[in-house]
Amino acid sequence: MRASITRGPILEILILIVILAIIPLALMGNAYYELLAATVVLFSSMVVAWNIIGGYAGQLDLGAYAYMGVGGIVTAELWMKAGIPPLLGIFVGGAVSALIAILIGIPTFRFGIKEVWYALLTAALVVIFNNISRLLMGPFDYYLPPTTGFVYLKFNSYVIVYAIAASFLIIAFLVNFFVERSKMGYYFKAIREDELAAEMVGIDTRRYKLYALLLYSFLLGVMGYIYIVIAASYSYRIFDSSASLSIAIMGIIGGLGSVEGGIISSMVLRSLGEYFRSTFGSSLPGLDLLLYGAVLILIGIFQPEGISSLINKLLKRKG
Amino acid sequence: MSSELSLANVTAGYGEFVILHSVSLEVPQKKITALVGPNGAGKTTTLKTIMGMTRLREGNILFEGEDITKLPTYRRVELGISLIPEGRGLFPSLTVRENLVIGAYTKKAREKIHESMEIAFSIFPKLKQRLEQKAGTLSGGEAQMLAIARGLMSRPKVLLLDEPSQGLAPVVVMELFQAIKKLNDELGITVLLVEQHVKESLELAEMAYVMEQGSIVMKGRGSELLADPSLKKAYLVY
Repeated sequence: MRASITRGPILEILILIVILAIIPLALMGNAYYELLAATVVLFSSMVVAWNIIGGYAGQLDLGAYAYMGVGGIVTAELWMKAGIPPLLGIFVGGAVSALIAILIGIPTFRFGIKEVWYALLTAALVVIFNNISRLLMGPFDYYLPPTTGFVYLKFNSYVIVYAIAASFLIIAFLVNFFVERSKMGYYFKAIREDELAAEMVGIDTRRYKLYALLLYSFLLGVMGYIYIVIAASYSYRIFDSSASLSIAIMGIIGGLGSVEGGIISSMVLRSLGEYFRSTFGSSLPGLDLLLYGAVLILIGIFQPEGISSLINKLLKRKG
Repeated sequence: MSSELSLANVTAGYGEFVILHSVSLEVPQKKITALVGPNGAGKTTTLKTIMGMTRLREGNILFEGEDITKLPTYRRVELGISLIPEGRGLFPSLTVRENLVIGAYTKKAREKIHESMEIAFSIFPKLKQRLEQKAGTLSGGEAQMLAIARGLMSRPKVLLLDEPSQGLAPVVVMELFQAIKKLNDELGITVLLVEQHVKESLELAEMAYVMEQGSIVMKGRGSELLADPSLKKAYLVY
C-alpha cells in the first residue's frame, strides 16, 4: 500500500506522456484531427488546473474562461501592440490573470462567500468580462499575425501546437502532484471537507483559498494564448460561460481531487462532444451539451464520487 | 491561582441573536475547569466566542493577561488556544496522519511536529495503529481521541473541549476522562471542559461554572458544586 503511494504518480506521469505521444501517431497526419486533439488536450489541462481550486480546495469555481481569456488576450495584445514575443508574454498573461483573481478573491473570501454563492459569483465573472471586453474590443475578431516560430508559440504544423497543449497538461499535472503532497494540499483538503473545522484547527482559510485561486488562475492565464492559437483569432466571445461550466462539470464527473479522473472524463467526453458536434451539429445542435448533462446525471446516480472511484473499484477487483 | 484565560462581561451571539449575556468566567492556569448546564444554555457559544467565531458585542477576552478580543481565530490558535468542537470536526476522508499534520498548522507547531505526535501517542496509544486509516472509519471513541490529539498538535496552552463524551459508551467515556486528566497532569495543559456528564466533570474539575440561558448562574470549586443540593436536584437525578 505504501509503496504504491510513492510509485504511483511517477508511473502515472509516464503513462500520461506515452498516451499523449501516441495520440498524434494514431491521427496519421490528418490536420483536422490534430487540431481537434490539441483542443481536447488543452481543455483537459484546464480541467486539471481547475482541480486545484475545485477538487482540492472545494471551491465550486465556474469562472475558468474568465482567467483563461484574460491571460490569452493580454499575451496576444502584448505581441501585437508591444512586440513582446508570446513565449514571454504567456507568463505576463498568467500573472495578470492571477492578479485579477487575487483582487477578486480577497474581498470574496474576506466576506465569506462560499458554496453556491461562490459558484454564482464566478459564473457572473465570465459574463462581466464578456461584456467589458465587448465594450473595449468591439464585436470584431482579432487575428494573430501570420508569423510562425518558437518564440511566438505559433507553428505551421498542428502537431507542434498539440505538443504545446500536451506539455501544458503535463505541467498542470505536475503542479497538482506537488500540491497533493505538500502541506498546502492537506490544508486545501481540510477546507474542502469542513471549512469551519479547518478554521478551528488554526488554518488561515482565507489565505489558503487565495493560494488555490492563485495557482489555478495563473495556469489558466498561461494556457489562454494557446487557446487563441488553436482558434487563430480572438474576440469577446472567448469569455464563454457554458464552456466555463463544462470545465467544472468535467472536474466533478472525474471525481473531486482526482487528476486522473478529470483527465479521463474531459478527454473522453470532449472528444465525444466534438464528434457529435461535427456529425449532428447541423441537424441536432446542442447534442454535445446534452451528452455532458446525461453523463453528469448518470454519474450523480451511480457513481457520486466520480470516475476516479470507479477506476479504484475496478483496480481493487483485479488485485 | 492565576487565571490563564478569562472572559469579562461578554455579550455575544450570532448575527442579530444575542446568546450570551454578560458572561464572566475565569479559567485558572494548568487546572481543569468545567462548564456545565442544560442544552441551549450557551456553552458551545461560550467556547466559540473564546475562539472568535461569534459576534461579540460587549466585553473582553483576556489570554495570559493580554486582550485577544479583536484577534482572528487563527491568531488565537497561534497564541495557544485550541478548540475540540462538538461532533469532533475531523476531516473524514483524510487519514489519521493527515488529520494530525493539519493540526500542527502554526509555524511553531510545525517545527515540533514529530515530538507532538509522540506526545499525542503517549496519551492515546491506540491512534498509532490507525495512522493510515481514514478518519471517517474510526469508532466514536477513537474519533474523539483523534480530535483531541489533533488539538494537541498545535501545542496549546489551553484546550477547550466541547462535549467530548457525546455519543460514547460509558466505558469509553471513563477512558476519555482519564485521558483528559492525564494530559492536564502530565502535559500541564489548561482545560476548559463543556459537558453533559455533570457528575463526572465536576469530580474532575478544580473549578466549575453552571450556565443557564446565556448567563453564569453558579460557580465554585468542583467538589463544592457537587455537594450543592440545588444543583444536585437540577442535574444529578439519574
